[in-house]
Amino acid sequence: MLSRSLKIGIVCPYSWDTPGGVQNHIRDLAEYLIAAGHHVSVLAPAIDDTKLPDYVVNAGKPISIPYNGAVARILFGPVAFSRVRQWISHGDFDLLHLHEPAIPSISLLACWAAEGPMVGTFHAAAKRQKIIFAIGPILEPAIEKLSARIAVSEAARLTLTDHLDTDAIVIPNGIYASRYHNGTPQEKWQGNTIGFIGRFEEPRKGLSVLLEALPVIARFAPDVKVFVAGPGDLTEVEKSIDPQLRHRFEFLGKISEQDKANFLSSVAIYVAPNTGGESFGIILAEALAGGACVVASDIPAFDDLLGHGEFGALFKSEDSTDLAKVVIGLLRDEKKRADLAIAGRSRGKSFDWEIIAQQVYSVYEMSIVASEKVKLASDTRSWNRFLSKDDK
Amino acid sequence: MTQWFLATLMLLLSLWYLTFLATRLDRLHHRVENSWANLDVLLQKRAAVALEIAHSDIADPASSLLLTSAAYQARDADIESRSAAESGLSGALGLLLEDSQHLATAADNALLTELSSLTDKIRVAIAMHTDAVTRTQMVRSKFIVRIFRLAGTAPLPVTYEFESDVL
Repeated sequence: MLSRSLKIGIVCPYSWDTPGGVQNHIRDLAEYLIAAGHHVSVLAPAIDDTKLPDYVVNAGKPISIPYNGAVARILFGPVAFSRVRQWISHGDFDLLHLHEPAIPSISLLACWAAEGPMVGTFHAAAKRQKIIFAIGPILEPAIEKLSARIAVSEAARLTLTDHLDTDAIVIPNGIYASRYHNGTPQEKWQGNTIGFIGRFEEPRKGLSVLLEALPVIARFAPDVKVFVAGPGDLTEVEKSIDPQLRHRFEFLGKISEQDKANFLSSVAIYVAPNTGGESFGIILAEALAGGACVVASDIPAFDDLLGHGEFGALFKSEDSTDLAKVVIGLLRDEKKRADLAIAGRSRGKSFDWEIIAQQVYSVYEMSIVASEKVKLASDTRSWNRFLSKDDK
Repeated sequence: MTQWFLATLMLLLSLWYLTFLATRLDRLHHRVENSWANLDVLLQKRAAVALEIAHSDIADPASSLLLTSAAYQARDADIESRSAAESGLSGALGLLLEDSQHLATAADNALLTELSSLTDKIRVAIAMHTDAVTRTQMVRSKFIVRIFRLAGTAPLPVTYEFESDVL
């Protein structure tokens, strides 16, 4: 099929400088496409203009609003709209790839403004919300313009069919699986250890569930240690830790990719106690690729990712007793841990960018028809066409 | 005076809405055409690969015959019998692949990988096409669209009942 190099415009709805799954996904995808010889431009809101990679175009300062159990830093409004229009008309793109086009953001604005080959990726998984009945009819004509819809997980696809009555192709998030393959086990993290990576301050990451389960786990495994990696403020969390168990915790802060690989191959059990709001679980996929034995809450996204328990153990979400039970069972059974880790590793490999990007690219190919370019919708409207013809 | 102003405003608004709906419908019709074109190309390619497989060592004489006739049927089918013919080809390929996986040589393996990558793409293309068709049907069933005949002379698209899990 097409093997020429394409000009691809990717729109990121969330602030580029805050860490997040969608941003990471876009960064990895963009870098992969650039390495494959395509021209990529990413439009994203950003607070700090100076630290952006050269393929990112700043769309303006984002504002913070609460969304889906977390604070989202997004951007919209008339000024942003004109920036989006400018970016589209100067970009001369073969294809636009819009991320999360169903929330009020520059992605939706771009979807509104552009005409031509467009692909949308839906990341969020949420329960059915009433608000959608009000805004659904407004969103529909815009979402309809996308020639292909991608959902990052089965959960995200269901959210989409529930809310907007349209189907999507499931292409999971990608990871650089090879980065996590050859982690060297570090002695300081080995033994009866439990690992946790994530922004632990956020309630939906579920660290509190693990905290509640720890007293029980510590009774059965007195030498258990918990390592928490990830950025965040300690003071709040420290208050909720039982002082007697404080020495069982170690906060590592933000760790490098190499450390992450080592960390994942060292800890006995990797725990993801997220309580919801998770659509895919990129960190879980990385943990699998890193060869960790994974224990996760049974929210739909994780249940799906772990093949209903085939590639990692599941516990009842928000149930610390059940978590304790599963963790104790695994700490005592080294063989089962090893089996899960091996099954998980091959599962993790299937999310490698080599495979995922190929799938995304074939959707691109199918959306581009007869070298049609992305234009502004207003340019193709009949009365504007009529006026511009008169000019000639 | 105000009534006249309001009436004109209403008229303009409804005119705008009508053109808006018409553009939307036009876009959808485009999407249906494009996604069908994609699917068509992929299916043609699949028929070609199927023929190659039929002529290779993968297929025994009996299944080779079956595959060849299924592939030709799929190629020559007109629009009404297309769906059935393609499903037939899927079935023939499925039958053959079920028990030939282990005895394929390297050269044949190339054919089989090509087939499986084609199958993946076809699955995506079917999803895209079905979605475009159902959206179009939905918009066209709107009362305003029907009464103002916004669809013009474009034929109502129909979904093709391909087996959703080819192979």
